[in-house]
Amino acid sequence: MAEATEFDAIVVGSGMSGGMSAKELCERGLRVLVLERGPEIVPERDYSDQLAPWETPNFDNVSQDEIKQHYFRQYPGVPYALKESNKDFWVKDDEHPYEEAEGTRYEWLRGYHTAGRSIMWSRQTYRLGPQDFEANLREGVAIDWPVRYEDIAPWYEKVETFVGIAGSEEGLSQLPDSVFQPAFELTEAEKAFKQGVETAFPGRNVIPARVAHLTDATEEQRSLGRSNCQLRNRCHHGCVFRAYFSSLNATLPAAERTGNLTMVHNAIVQSLEFDSETNRVSGVRIVDAETNEARTYSSRIVFLNASAIASAMILLQSTSESFPNGLANRSDQVGRNLMDHVSGAGAAGIMRGFDDRKVFGRRPGGIYIPRYANVTENDKPYSRGFGYQGGASPLGNANGQIPGIGREFKESHRRPGPWRISIGAFGEQLPNPNNRVTLHPTRRDRWGNPIAVFEVRYSRNEEIMLEEARTDAIAMLEAAGCEQISSGPVNLTNPGNRIHEMGSARMGRDPADSVLNGWCQAHDVPNLFITDGAFMTSAACQNPSLTYMAFSARAANYAADLLAEGVL
Amino acid sequence: MKTRRDFLRELIISVGGVTALTACGDAPVVVATATGEPGRFYTPEEMELVSRLSELIIPRTETPGALDVNVPGYVDGLMADWASEETQDAHRRALAEIDRRLSADGSFMALDETEAERSLAELDRSAFEEAAEDLGGYRTFKGYVTRSYFATEGGAQEELQWVGVPGRWDPDVLVTDRQGV
Repeated sequence: MAEATEFDAIVVGSGMSGGMSAKELCERGLRVLVLERGPEIVPERDYSDQLAPWETPNFDNVSQDEIKQHYFRQYPGVPYALKESNKDFWVKDDEHPYEEAEGTRYEWLRGYHTAGRSIMWSRQTYRLGPQDFEANLREGVAIDWPVRYEDIAPWYEKVETFVGIAGSEEGLSQLPDSVFQPAFELTEAEKAFKQGVETAFPGRNVIPARVAHLTDATEEQRSLGRSNCQLRNRCHHGCVFRAYFSSLNATLPAAERTGNLTMVHNAIVQSLEFDSETNRVSGVRIVDAETNEARTYSSRIVFLNASAIASAMILLQSTSESFPNGLANRSDQVGRNLMDHVSGAGAAGIMRGFDDRKVFGRRPGGIYIPRYANVTENDKPYSRGFGYQGGASPLGNANGQIPGIGREFKESHRRPGPWRISIGAFGEQLPNPNNRVTLHPTRRDRWGNPIAVFEVRYSRNEEIMLEEARTDAIAMLEAAGCEQISSGPVNLTNPGNRIHEMGSARMGRDPADSVLNGWCQAHDVPNLFITDGAFMTSAACQNPSLTYMAFSARAANYAADLLAEGVL
Repeated sequence: MKTRRDFLRELIISVGGVTALTACGDAPVVVATATGEPGRFYTPEEMELVSRLSELIIPRTETPGALDVNVPGYVDGLMADWASEETQDAHRRALAEIDRRLSADGSFMALDETEAERSLAELDRSAFEEAAEDLGGYRTFKGYVTRSYFATEGGAQEELQWVGVPGRWDPDVLVTDRQGV
């Protein structure tokens, strides 16, 4: 039987945002094709979360020679998540090269397979606040967002109800509450830290991290085969309980059960074909990753969800007479304003008084300190702000790095030991049109596609902000009575390292200086939507996946409306 | 994509003294060198030294000791399969240095149990309480031994009472003698 090549909608990418786009479009009754550039992941076969420590050799470490040969960029970026038993979730750097402009560094950390990086993410889940959509306008930075918090709030609610987020209601204006399932309660040391910080610094809050884990699964979630988190901390390996959110655990099965989903793997999108007569994308050209065979699929609407970098590259690769500089790029903003979050500042210390306490279970998230800079405190030598992620836990056996031998040494591992708290900042990076990804003029990958060239630098604002974040972190640990406070010099993470790349096809009101309108719809090409991180007009400081999904759901329903009305 | 079964099959080099559980129905896999087998990395002399050191660091008590769970075989596998040449060389040099320090008054391997324990305890003190610079290799070695021990079924389940599927979160547990982690 010949494979169908015509659909109502094509979604490029099956990760965090692509899964949500596909689900919403399928549920609106559209026949949807999802194109995934990598191979299929089958949970029962490919998840390695059920392995006990003694079922993997070498502490589940990838051999040092193999890292040097295949994972020389991925592993240093995510040593906590790239293991022998899940290494196939990460790209091999020698097979997927990229370049950096002289004097710059970029970490492009990726997984090519069903559900993309939604399988390996760290699941921190926060709404943006009203201030985040207003900051550019207020400060005269870049361009104004064409939407406000009120526009997206109902979509956050819809998405959160489906996703499942463990968190606590705090009533903070800058970090609006989500639809929550019960939070993972703070440890006693964290509660003491919270009290110390909130007493010394009114306007700062220490709250349980908000994570996309089920703690009170709904009927809908159970119907998708999902159940509550089992506290194993094996999430980077997949989850047979489907307890944390990923496309594979939730949105793709939901799309699948509508009967409207077609999924094609190993389909690397090379370009979008443009029909100048209708002013529409008329086809999606792909090359098969395994056979190198070229094919074209067509549909009435196209959603790019390939990730901010890959979506921009697809546009840049899609040149035509109408768009010599890349599809939907009359503004010349495609590939520009590439942002990430910035870390590299924090502090750790010992909390006394809890040595007779320990925990049961391996919790997926710790504490979060929502942004206070330029929200509740307005005396800062920098703009925007940062949140801290962290937690307090028993120091434990420190992998044998404590004195002693024999019975006493052996049995000391049963005791939790002193409690250590650590916090690290996630700061907002300002948009800058000179921070960009472009196509290499000559170098191609094995499928004949141009490789990416990155040129991204932090601004002085990020540097000052992170210095201040370090000072603030020490002050909060001191206020909470910590001992042995340690805080290395600020060492900014390389751009890309936080794996929150965004901004490369920003939304705005004016087609002259933005790629997308407020519905994530290309100004220049009405049947093209981009709802991965590319649309972000500014970065905020919150982990962005939830925002990508909320905008995906909103754009998908808008596009479905336009189709129903015959506009598209 | 390679299946987990394929992946495991390729990794099975030898099945050691520790038998793995089969959580997903696959064949047991442990890449540790089997107890009594010649080392794939260690010389016979190094294997003897590592065996003696491991058992002194983590002896058999009411629960298995380092030799019961084949820590030497685990570390041998680690060096043979995981370590780069640079790491292997550093490890070999560290063992030689440990042996040299412990054998200052005659062969360490010839000492009786009490003397050997006293000698190693002294070296450990220098390494951790005085943080002697030239004992960095010993600290790394002790890390390998400890991590290996707790990565075995015996070490994890019997000594540490490690629980594979906790199923719930309790943020505040009063420490008593024996509880799961």
